[in-house]
Amino acid sequence: MHIAEGFLPPAHAVAWGVASAPFVVHGVRSLTREVRKHPESTLLLGASGAFTFVLSALKLPSVTGSCSHPTGTGLGAILFRPPVMAVLGTITLLFQALLLAHGGLTTLGANVFSMAVVGPWVGYGAYRLLRRCDVPLMVAVFFGAFAADLSTYCVTSVQLALAFPDPAGGVLGALGKFGSVFAVTQIPLAVSEGLLTVLVMRLLVQSSKGELTRLGVLVAGGRTEARATGTGAVA
Amino acid sequence: MLPIDAAAHSSRWRRRHPVDKAVLGLGLTVLAIALPPWPGAALVLLTALVVLLGPAGVPARRLWRAYRVPLGFCVTGAATLLVQVGGPEGVLSLADDGPRRAGELLLRTSAASLGVLLFAFTTPMSDLLPRLIKAGVPGPVVDVALVTYRMSSLLLDSVRRIREAQAARLGHTTRAAAWRSLAGLGATAFVRAFDRASRLQAGLAGRGYDGTLRVLVPEARISVRFTLGSVVLLGCVAAVTFLLKGPLSS
Repeated sequence: MHIAEGFLPPAHAVAWGVASAPFVVHGVRSLTREVRKHPESTLLLGASGAFTFVLSALKLPSVTGSCSHPTGTGLGAILFRPPVMAVLGTITLLFQALLLAHGGLTTLGANVFSMAVVGPWVGYGAYRLLRRCDVPLMVAVFFGAFAADLSTYCVTSVQLALAFPDPAGGVLGALGKFGSVFAVTQIPLAVSEGLLTVLVMRLLVQSSKGELTRLGVLVAGGRTEARATGTGAVA
Repeated sequence: MLPIDAAAHSSRWRRRHPVDKAVLGLGLTVLAIALPPWPGAALVLLTALVVLLGPAGVPARRLWRAYRVPLGFCVTGAATLLVQVGGPEGVLSLADDGPRRAGELLLRTSAASLGVLLFAFTTPMSDLLPRLIKAGVPGPVVDVALVTYRMSSLLLDSVRRIREAQAARLGHTTRAAAWRSLAGLGATAFVRAFDRASRLQAGLAGRGYDGTLRVLVPEARISVRFTLGSVVLLGCVAAVTFLLKGPLSS
């Protein structure tokens, strides 16, 4: 769930923008370096951005019976890595605010922090940790996507709680209130997104070995491997 | 093409420079969150609505279709302020000041959303993105955003057609089939995006691609009259807010 336009008081909107800025600037530098080194990367990164945008527009059947959409941050971070996801996520959130009236410009900083910074880093961290422990690829992918989705919503709850403390319970009371509202829908949705990401990855391993090797998810020959750290999503 | 962007391409203000529209639309959004919600945000909401339906010529039905999405989020978010956690009245009870806080939040968010919609409904993305370079955004980032924008429309169209084909093959009849179809949809979107990118790359390489995507941007000049008019309008909204604030709150 994106925080809607105008939802946060001005001071909070600015503060979250400032908090997101270093991550986005770092991502922009990585992306600029990559594009200057390999000009053809522009198109692949654009394709990655479009894929992230389309992924967030897919309707996800929820366990609760309703319908929602995946955040796509887990899969994006596993495929393209968190620094690049900070930029692609920011572009996607800007498009969603202007083309779908989803999210907002004054709340862009807060949404970027939860969806393009914390979600990808937590998801990627969980994925990398599990891969280092020799956990099978698909199990690591599931927990990566699950952690990315759930951490995104946890951060959103914190952002809302800080902006709207409960009159009786304060920030903690508000956190419980927003957290419980999200928990009803988001825990099943995080499980759903994890399952969907595993299914997508299974199909990708079968059909797009070349691209996955180029992105570093598979090593040459189509084997799966926990990859070394670093930037260069499309190198 | 997405409905808001399609409407922006045929907007009455399409030929105006994005800065003109940003000053007015985003200025209203800033006022909505900076002014006291009552009567400030209410005045911003009214002003944005009059400009959208009047001079900007946005059809009411299109506006409502786009506006109901953020409005739904605003209502859901504001509803949580009606209750409080803990206190002498039990674990969960109605907050004393809840209706006022929820009403103010609803006013602020709905007014701010209309300001952004005014900008979005009159400014196509293809006019805005190339000009971001002048605003200091690095060229490679703008190029990636441009490719993302152009490819998103094509991918969304592909996804819609794949979903129709899946439905025609009974791909959504059971929960298991729906999950299989959804996973196929996500994977196909990935494959198509990368396939399209590599074909674009091959095509551009044949045309001497040097790493810069050159696109034609419709010529437009910043209108001093329009911008000045917008600033005066924003100033009037702020002034009327402070004039009315005393009498209306007493």
